[in-house]
Amino acid sequence: MANHSRPMKPSFDASQPCLQARQLERYLGSEESRVHVLRGVSLTLEPGTVHAIVGPSGCGKSSLLYILGLLDNPDSGELLIGGAPVLSLVDEVASAKRTELLGFVFQFHFLLEDFSAEENVMIPMRRLGKLSEKEMGERARHLLDEVGLGAKAKRPSRHLSGGEQQRVAIARSLANDPLVLLADEPTGNLDSINSDRVFALLTRVVHNHHKSLLLVTHNPGIAEKCDWVHEMKDGLIMKTTENRPHPQPKAKA
Amino acid sequence: MKPALYIALRFTAARKRALVLSLSGVVLGVAFFISTQAQTEGFEQFFVQTVLGTSGAVVIGDRFQARYTPPIADKPGANTMVSGQQARKYYDGIDNPNFLMRVVENYSGVIAVAPVIEGNVTVRTDFKDEVMKLDGIDIKAHLRATALRGQVVSGSIERFEAKPLGLLLGSMLADYLQVKVGDILYVTGTEGDTRVFTVEGIFQTGINIIDETRGYCHEQAAQSIMKRPFAITSVIVRLRDPERAPYFAKTFESQLSHQARSWQERESGNLAIFRTLRLSAAITVSLIILLAGFGIFNILTMTVLNKVREIAILRSMGYRRVDIQNIFLYQGLIIATIGSIIGCALGALLTFGISRIPIKIRGVIHADYFVVAWSWHHYVTAAVIAFVSVLVASYFPARRAALLPPVETLRGSGQ
Repeated sequence: MANHSRPMKPSFDASQPCLQARQLERYLGSEESRVHVLRGVSLTLEPGTVHAIVGPSGCGKSSLLYILGLLDNPDSGELLIGGAPVLSLVDEVASAKRTELLGFVFQFHFLLEDFSAEENVMIPMRRLGKLSEKEMGERARHLLDEVGLGAKAKRPSRHLSGGEQQRVAIARSLANDPLVLLADEPTGNLDSINSDRVFALLTRVVHNHHKSLLLVTHNPGIAEKCDWVHEMKDGLIMKTTENRPHPQPKAKA
Repeated sequence: MKPALYIALRFTAARKRALVLSLSGVVLGVAFFISTQAQTEGFEQFFVQTVLGTSGAVVIGDRFQARYTPPIADKPGANTMVSGQQARKYYDGIDNPNFLMRVVENYSGVIAVAPVIEGNVTVRTDFKDEVMKLDGIDIKAHLRATALRGQVVSGSIERFEAKPLGLLLGSMLADYLQVKVGDILYVTGTEGDTRVFTVEGIFQTGINIIDETRGYCHEQAAQSIMKRPFAITSVIVRLRDPERAPYFAKTFESQLSHQARSWQERESGNLAIFRTLRLSAAITVSLIILLAGFGIFNILTMTVLNKVREIAILRSMGYRRVDIQNIFLYQGLIIATIGSIIGCALGALLTFGISRIPIKIRGVIHADYFVVAWSWHHYVTAAVIAFVSVLVASYFPARRAALLPPVETLRGSGQ
């Protein structure tokens, strides 16, 4: 990403795994209809690795993702991002961590439709507040170039196709050069060509820039291309499979 | 620029129809508020200026003697009641008026003083009789203390000055009597003496109660016809700052032992009517702004509902609850700011247009055009009402947006 690759000094320990989750538990619902959606999930994401979580609907994949993304708090367990504990933080601090360390990609891309592609990519940078308007614009165009949308940077996001919107969402997730990328079925709403393209883009970014990616998917084709596949069932990671032939630090289930 | 403000600006600009709807209520409310306040205060100021120009800021009247206050006094809220208490004993007229005027003139803040001897007389023409309130004045002092010169609409002050038995008549009284400048009038005092006066000028104050009952003659002529040589019944005091009249009135009373009444006290009834009218107009027009606020509340609530997913994604990108709340509060602020600016401009335009409308008011006051007051207070008050109502209207949708749980939204949309 040339000179736009890191807009800020990292505030995490680079020698540590990108993300470590230990014995995460989560209950949902009120007293009578309480569901134990996570029953002690542990997971480690090393730099430069792509992880897939697969499993039937309701097995706790998305709940895990939202906890790892600091959008939800577990009822028990431990979570470290860049070696620092990040649970039970006040909204102010948790939000700052999300801005700085995490990038999200969702199935329905969720762009701000009133904004252009470039402006969408600039939104996380505005929150971080480390770059000038000019620098943010340059970085946004660079990221859009990376996802093959440099020519459509000024186009309103609602005038882009589904695949293009998802690529803008990926560029946006990379805006603040996050340590961890979390993706909830990022290809679930795309045709096979766009799906492959988006996945290739994500894995390229992760491998080239030593980030880690955790994606939730129902697509076995996508899952088998990931370095690690975690199969979830009833709130637990039942099985972890390594797809890469070369040795990598293990993800613990 | 703050990220929340930037996003708010973009959200606001993107919804043009909603923006126009929101703005129109605020703009109209602010403009109507300003123009109605300009009218009601305009008439009030006109009235006050006329009162000040005719009777002065303070009128010093009868001398009084303070009575001894016994140890058991009748005090409000006390359990005892003492009957027959009289705080003052009044004596008719001013005691040693020249001395009193010299003392009053030396107060800083006093511009001029003028003696007046007043009494009721009967004026008679060949056809009609009318009762008139005759004020005997020292014309030179009176011109310094009042706006009489500007009120003369026919004849002249110079003609009046030159004639010892000259008379200045209120315009409506002159109409009733069907007299004009140069005509002769027979004036009979309460003691029955009659003098022949010549009408040397006709004045119009704009306040009908004065224009239809009052006439001015020279001080000595009045003293003669009322058979009260050297007597002065009141002294008109003109102040540099008429708003301080109550303070001066109180000071004169305590230091000079003469009754002194400020214009605010003398005209308290009329001023209360004007104040009530202004308040009533302000409340009525504020309802438009409140309705606009209600409209904005609805629009922002709908916006929050439409942007639930966008709010969730902003939260996932690290926007705090307070940022989300600010996005919607800023939208209200933007609407209030633009609405107030356009509303103030429209209000000024309306006020100007209204001031050009010719009307003939003949009642308590007298005007040929709508009288308006140009005061920045109206603009600030209108803007403050607009800001408060719009911000209150924005707060609840903004709070709702801030408290939306992003996980619920993302979970509902993502699976």
